[in-house]
Amino acid sequence: MHITVLAKVVPDYEVPTADFELTDGRAHSRYTRMIGLYDENAIETGVQLKEAYGATLTIISYGKTQDVTVLRKAIAMGGDALHLVLGDADDPFVIAANLKMAIEQLGNVDLVLAGQQSADMDRGVVHSILAGMLDYPFLPQISTIKSEDGRWMVAQAHENGIRRLEFSGKGVLSITSSPKNVPRIPAVRSILAAKKKPVEKIDGIPGTPMPVAELSVEIPKMESVCEFLPLDDMAQTCKILLSKLREERYL
Amino acid sequence: MRIPYWNISYGILIDTVALVAVIVFVFGLHGHWKRIRLGKVRIRSANVDHPGKIGPVFVYSLLKNGILGAKLYKKIFTGIAHGFLFWGMLVLALGTSLVVLNLLFGLPVFEGIFNRWFMSFFLDLAGLLALFGLLFFLVRRWFPPERLITPRERTGFGVQIGLLAAVIVTGFLVEAIRIASTGPDPFSFVGNFMAGWLPADALSVHRIFWWSHGLLCMAFIAYIPYSPMMHMVLVPTNTALADPRPGSKMGVIDFSSFDNDDDEEGAAEEMPTLGCSSLADFTRKRLLDFAACLWCGRCHEVCPAAITKKPLSPKGVMVTLAERLAAGEVEDATLIDDITEDAIFACTTCTACLEACPACINQPKTILKFRQNLVMEQSRIPELMAKAINSLEQRAHPFFGTGSGPKDWCKDLEVPLFATGETEYLLWIGCSVTYEERAQKIARAMVRILESAGVSYGILEESRCTGDPAKQMGNEFMFTELAQTNIDEFNELGVKKIITLCPHCYNSFDRHYPLLGGNYEVIPHSVFINRLISNDKLVLKNSLERICYHDPCYLGRRNLFFDEPREVIRKVGQLVEMPRSGAESFCCGGGGGNYWAEEVGDRINQVRSKEALDTGADRIATACPFCLLMLTDGAKKFTEEQKTFDIAELVAERLT
Amino acid sequence: MKALIVEVIDAKRIGELVTVGRIFGDTPDVVALGTGDIPGNYNKAYCSDAAVGSNLIDGLVELIQKEGYEVVLLSATTVGAEIAGPLSVRLGAPVLTEIIGAKSDMTVTRPIYGGKAMTTFKINQTPAILTVRRKYFESAIAEGTTTPVPLAGAAGAIRLVSEEAVVTEGIPLDDAEVIVSGGRGVGSGEKFTILRDLAGILNAAVGASRGAVDEGWAEPTMQIGQTGNIVAPSVYFAVGISGASQHLAGIANAKCVVAINKDEDANIFKRARFGIVEDYAKVVPALIQALQEEQ
Repeated sequence: MHITVLAKVVPDYEVPTADFELTDGRAHSRYTRMIGLYDENAIETGVQLKEAYGATLTIISYGKTQDVTVLRKAIAMGGDALHLVLGDADDPFVIAANLKMAIEQLGNVDLVLAGQQSADMDRGVVHSILAGMLDYPFLPQISTIKSEDGRWMVAQAHENGIRRLEFSGKGVLSITSSPKNVPRIPAVRSILAAKKKPVEKIDGIPGTPMPVAELSVEIPKMESVCEFLPLDDMAQTCKILLSKLREERYL
Repeated sequence: MRIPYWNISYGILIDTVALVAVIVFVFGLHGHWKRIRLGKVRIRSANVDHPGKIGPVFVYSLLKNGILGAKLYKKIFTGIAHGFLFWGMLVLALGTSLVVLNLLFGLPVFEGIFNRWFMSFFLDLAGLLALFGLLFFLVRRWFPPERLITPRERTGFGVQIGLLAAVIVTGFLVEAIRIASTGPDPFSFVGNFMAGWLPADALSVHRIFWWSHGLLCMAFIAYIPYSPMMHMVLVPTNTALADPRPGSKMGVIDFSSFDNDDDEEGAAEEMPTLGCSSLADFTRKRLLDFAACLWCGRCHEVCPAAITKKPLSPKGVMVTLAERLAAGEVEDATLIDDITEDAIFACTTCTACLEACPACINQPKTILKFRQNLVMEQSRIPELMAKAINSLEQRAHPFFGTGSGPKDWCKDLEVPLFATGETEYLLWIGCSVTYEERAQKIARAMVRILESAGVSYGILEESRCTGDPAKQMGNEFMFTELAQTNIDEFNELGVKKIITLCPHCYNSFDRHYPLLGGNYEVIPHSVFINRLISNDKLVLKNSLERICYHDPCYLGRRNLFFDEPREVIRKVGQLVEMPRSGAESFCCGGGGGNYWAEEVGDRINQVRSKEALDTGADRIATACPFCLLMLTDGAKKFTEEQKTFDIAELVAERLT
Repeated sequence: MKALIVEVIDAKRIGELVTVGRIFGDTPDVVALGTGDIPGNYNKAYCSDAAVGSNLIDGLVELIQKEGYEVVLLSATTVGAEIAGPLSVRLGAPVLTEIIGAKSDMTVTRPIYGGKAMTTFKINQTPAILTVRRKYFESAIAEGTTTPVPLAGAAGAIRLVSEEAVVTEGIPLDDAEVIVSGGRGVGSGEKFTILRDLAGILNAAVGASRGAVDEGWAEPTMQIGQTGNIVAPSVYFAVGISGASQHLAGIANAKCVVAINKDEDANIFKRARFGIVEDYAKVVPALIQALQEEQ
């Protein structure tokens, strides 16, 4: 069994709104970089599958050379190898094409896991485009995975509850967070060992971007400015509040 | 003049028995040593220069805690009873030895004033007081306080209490019979008194009592190593070897030797077990701790976790370890699960237990060693602490989900950056002050104070954590990584003096950074403010406000700054003390990474806040951002008013 | 511009997509997952009994190519996530997810960095696939119903084994668009009733701060914050909540916080969009009254 987890290095996803700024339409470079939130859940899920079924676990990422230091954590958590496709494209089709190349180079991948969305572009679509390109079935928002008699039994955290689904053969699954896949803090021994594991760097391909043009990136007006409502007539105050909430489409 | 071995034939035989007793004693002693020897030899011994340290022995600590048993007297009745028994028996043993010396070498002890006062009066008094002591302990074993029986009582005292009582009583009887036959001995008041009550034919049993007295003595001595009375040897040894500096003295681990890039594959494999999972992983000093523990439960009584019904009792941990050690189960790694992960992570590292322990046992170090193993070897850590650790790794601060950016605390303030060669003091902001809104005001207040006093200070461009939360949560590896980053920056900038706002930062800089190559003069902000006031650099308006001071564990108990913050408070208001203050201060609940804990049982911060509010003080002052945050939250249960402040805020308010 | 909606049979969800479709042109056609009539009037309506969106791809590709749809609209839900990516590959179509704004010239807006920034795209080629974040577009009122014709080709690799709807009393915090949450300032467990009343009218879930849970006024499952539920409602009513950072961590993604607290210095006002500095015991009944009058 060979499992790959797709992980992306993103700028700190917890930067408070008030402290957030852009340079050239992207998060300012001063923010620390880290593995995406859901990607860590996906890595944890992959490690658990490795432990349960003795699978090989390869971490695949698309990004820059300096991401390697951050991605070592995925190895420390339990990954066997790290394959990094070098490139800086932002287009989901280009990224997916690069990831597809890395997966095809590995040759024998059974299951591809990815966080349900990256913590920067929040698209949640690269993995499903990749599934389309690989012609593997795709399921999003998976919380648990089991292998039974050569079939994958998975649980999907659907809006209305849990769906249990099964399929056989290869597949791409996007992983959501669940109490069962809280990312582990790697043991020190593993952190030190991870520093010695080889990293396969693969030159990226240009790919074909989607025919869309990014016109602008803007930081929306600050929400944190509190508007204090008048207190003289509470009935009136409440009416004002409700109409304002509707006006701004909150209700 | 008294005649030794009066009415006794072949009395010298008792000394032959004594030889046997000593052999049995030594055999038992060797058994203890054999078990303790299974621990690891400490690689980095307590190698600090300490006045009065001879070899590995801390002489002052041995005298104060090992011989005088100074801490015993914190519980006055127990202390006095123990004193009566110990000193009484010691005097009696001395008297008995003198008899032997008289017999062997003719030492003139039964003559004149020495005989009257020491051999007669003093020995009788010693026996009587020892008997009182025994009575106290006997009654207390019948009606034990909670601390003695939680989680269970140490057995084996009964036999020894009985033996000792029998020794003393037979001793008095022997004396009384002798006096009844040979006439009163004016200074032997107990013997004289008892002689009056004896039946006429008592002389016939004199020999029986004499031999019983002697044999019981020998039995007691021989039995010591097989009973809790072994503490007479183990406790003084433990106090002699215990580093008397306050705090848990965790030291640091040098990971660089396991992480050498030049090495071939497998260098990391040579790394020893991190932390401890079985008894064999502990040092001999820790095993000595476990063996020396009398299960008195004084630690249990002061432990904030135990008091608030959390699964941890420091005594409970010691009991489990002592039992496993006695059973010789040193390799068994199920130990850690016996103690439970919940208990191990409930410790706030406040060191109240260590402070209370009459035997100088370092309970927090043992607990932290388990923690280190869980975190660094087994990846086991409560979820919230894991999040904090993760954030430390990602962002160099543990405050995940913070609403503040790194520069928010100094918005609309002009704070100078530390300039190499120009700035005298580095004002170290630290993580909680940077990222917790309430704590940000500490830094703002401190900036006002420093500006007002005209101090040459500056801050760093980036703000980071010292690594203390990681260390307290058991992640030494992350601590050393963060510490190394800070040390590199300090050394590059030429930082020599550091003012800290948080006692945890102070503790890290002062205790641990030097071991990693970072030597600085570090001053807690409360101490620095006090210095500024004493040097007339600050002019303050005093007030009649009653201010209650909460000692932060890492400032007070762990680093002995008790007076400086109090002096500062006296300059801005009227100091009020809580029932638990100074070295006996009660934790706010936020230490040891428990700021990131899902607290079970009662809330420590509420218990402490109530204690503070019950003094009737107008405000609660503290000198630690974690205490400030915890007590601010705790006080909310009892009052809507904002009553908790940092010492710097109170001073900044009263600047003229 | 010819648009096609792919959605489960849910009047509100379909209605929102109809609104988006009308920005680009006429009322779209619809493919519904499930059985029965579809609320609203459509030129063409199809249905599929595909259990999983992934199994529907073949059928959709065929339909879209045959009918020449230029825009495919899905909601940003599980079904939308299942279909959008693979479909875009099969059609060679651009795909933009989680859009929150659209204009007739084919420019759309979507949030990035957890909503901390907004990107606007111009789509230069059709067909295009869009998934639409819920609650950002008014749901078009559905008049009448349309009986769909079955769509062929719903065979697929994935089999649905079972489905468990999560049963929660009231509205679960996770999904709630509106949450009414109480803190220590509420004063007692009984007084939470009034919050439940407000929540009932607003179709909202009831939450609590750690302080209120500690006091035993609210169930631990209701706790919101760092150590409880992390929620992302559209409106979050914080009643008698001071706003400790641990609490704020749990509502970081709430779109609009309405703070009701008599302490004007309460930290919650820093996070709030609207603030009422008054005893909640006066505000909440007035709010209930105002809502009842509207109904």
